[in-house]
Amino acid sequence: MKLGKRWLPAHILVWTYAVLLIVPLYYFLASAFKSNEEIFAHPFALPGSLGFGNFRTAYDSADLGTAVVNSALVTVLALALTLLLALPAAFALARSTGRLASAMEKVFSLGFLIPTFAALFPTFLLAAATGLFHTRLFMVFFLPATAMPLSVVILVQFMRTIPREMEEAARMDGASTYTVLRHIYIPMCLPGIATVLLLNFLTFWNEYLYSLVIIGPDPEQRTVQVALPTLKAITGTDYGVLTAGTVLTLIPVWVVYTVLQKRMQQALINGAVKA
Amino acid sequence: MHSPLTRRGFLAAGSGLAAATVLPGLSACSALTGADSDPDTLVVHSQLGTTAPGSPTYLAALDRFREEHPGLKVKNLINGDDLAQVYETSRLARKEPDVVMVNLYDKTLAWTDVGATVDVKGYLDDWGLRTRVLPQALAEWTDPKGRVRAFPYFATNWPIAYNRSLLDRAGVDAIPATGDELIAAARKLRAKGIAPVTVGGNDWTGQKLLAQIIQTFLTEDEARHAYSTGDFGGRGAREGIEYFVTLRDAGVFADKAQGLTSDSMTTQFNTQTAAIQSAMSSALAKVPPKVARHTEVGGWPLADGAAHDKPTILRTYTLIGFWISPNGTKKIDAVEKFLRFMYRPDTVARFIRESGRDMALRSDAVSTDFPLVAAAQRLGSTVSQALLPDVYVPPAAAQPLITATSTSFTRGTSAAKVRAALETAYRSA
Repeated sequence: MKLGKRWLPAHILVWTYAVLLIVPLYYFLASAFKSNEEIFAHPFALPGSLGFGNFRTAYDSADLGTAVVNSALVTVLALALTLLLALPAAFALARSTGRLASAMEKVFSLGFLIPTFAALFPTFLLAAATGLFHTRLFMVFFLPATAMPLSVVILVQFMRTIPREMEEAARMDGASTYTVLRHIYIPMCLPGIATVLLLNFLTFWNEYLYSLVIIGPDPEQRTVQVALPTLKAITGTDYGVLTAGTVLTLIPVWVVYTVLQKRMQQALINGAVKA
Repeated sequence: MHSPLTRRGFLAAGSGLAAATVLPGLSACSALTGADSDPDTLVVHSQLGTTAPGSPTYLAALDRFREEHPGLKVKNLINGDDLAQVYETSRLARKEPDVVMVNLYDKTLAWTDVGATVDVKGYLDDWGLRTRVLPQALAEWTDPKGRVRAFPYFATNWPIAYNRSLLDRAGVDAIPATGDELIAAARKLRAKGIAPVTVGGNDWTGQKLLAQIIQTFLTEDEARHAYSTGDFGGRGAREGIEYFVTLRDAGVFADKAQGLTSDSMTTQFNTQTAAIQSAMSSALAKVPPKVARHTEVGGWPLADGAAHDKPTILRTYTLIGFWISPNGTKKIDAVEKFLRFMYRPDTVARFIRESGRDMALRSDAVSTDFPLVAAAQRLGSTVSQALLPDVYVPPAAAQPLITATSTSFTRGTSAAKVRAALETAYRSA
């Protein structure tokens, strides 16, 4: 087929790229079922057995069950708080046309300039001063603060695409400001909200440094990113166990991406058609 | 096509998911704030508890302690390499654990001075535990002002492990005893595709081996001076650096050693891709039985004119100690019970027998299930001992020295540049 031949280079590039992505993923998953010796002697061979010994060891040794619950707890509450704060802020900024609003929007953007590491010590002092050091609650408050610049900037852009006439029509029907936000802006911004949720989910779930310092190493409170490195030993890490532990902690991320995202897209399409 | 999920459905599902996640967490933990300092709970911060050597024995010991002291709860906090940093931040917030189990190195060297932990000399005497400690251990844990920094616990021998099977395959008949023999062995091993000496040139394992090799031409006092002050300009130190550079450029160390870590080192040795490593007892205990069967332990080969008369090894009694925090002094009765229990001969013996740990305490137990650990214990006077620099290196120079180590293991770096890198590590500190 002529078209096929013309597209051959593109096919080759796409498949090469796909292989480049799949090979490390395969290596990662296969290693979770292997011993150190198998990993280093035959890195790309299929595992000798598909036993779950490494997974059991990782789960029990690092108490990953509790850690996953803690991470989920912090992530979900922080996401909820992020939306609770970012939506009204973005709504106000998107609808305002004055200089003050423009300045406020720039202030939010300035948040991008603060390096994460630079805020560690002041954040620690704040946690100690508020009596929330060694608690997950502090992280629930802190993570949304770090996510506000990105969340507000994204949501403002989405909200600006909504025609003013929609709001004016609602106002004529007696809608309050809250009603306009709740029934017009939020439904029409679901793509933006989904984007904010997904980006922040990954950031919150993978956060390590602050969780280590602020929440600390208590197995009852620590997040999965703090629990996982305890599977490393300075005198010989069992990479099979470490990889198995990593796979376990990635399952929630995989669930969110493959199930929730798909359903979000369905809901978005549904909402858009109705609108 | 009708979508299976409407916008309202999506919101409901999201809320449900959030509730399902949050509610069990809240009910299980009662709050997000966790348990604050409980007077009936002894909090121990340790590197043991997951996969570190000795963890199962330690966790079993904690269980036995809980059984013997039903009114006293023990909470075990676990960290790896970042334990010191986590402890220090906890201390700054006055929420530090009561007892810390960590080695004497880098940041921890400053803890007694800055009041992050307390002098335990008085407790050691009051509780009658001094006689349980090996004299060398007590000396190493005592600072220049006479304060005992912590209760000594784990020690380690740090010999060189030689895989005889790989050496035989390469045609190396005897364990190298001199630098020339080591270079010849390295050439034969490389010809067979086997890495000679594997070492974590990018971390503390490389730093220790480099220090051991430099000390080939140094007496103990000279080594102490060099590592306390960062003055590597003496004749012995310069000759030691030149010896190291000669070995390195002759291909004695595994390829790209400057980027390897302790992890990659032990993995290379345990998977038989490398024939020789400098291994502390805990690493020797993790050598797989089929490799251990063909492994011998000994010292590092010497050069002509060396200050030592036998191949050298490292030994230290500062591997893990029990440090008492200011918070721990408020629960000193609980701390006393815990330390008396951990110092008990039966507890100590289990660490030796079950985990192959070397102890800083007196014990008749032998690591029979860990032949390499036992072999290292038996080396005795058949080897000469180099000074482990950990206690003498100023805390601020510890990390810069790791960077200097990586530079040193990079092929082509001259002896003068190695010396400059080492001295710069002290100056920048």
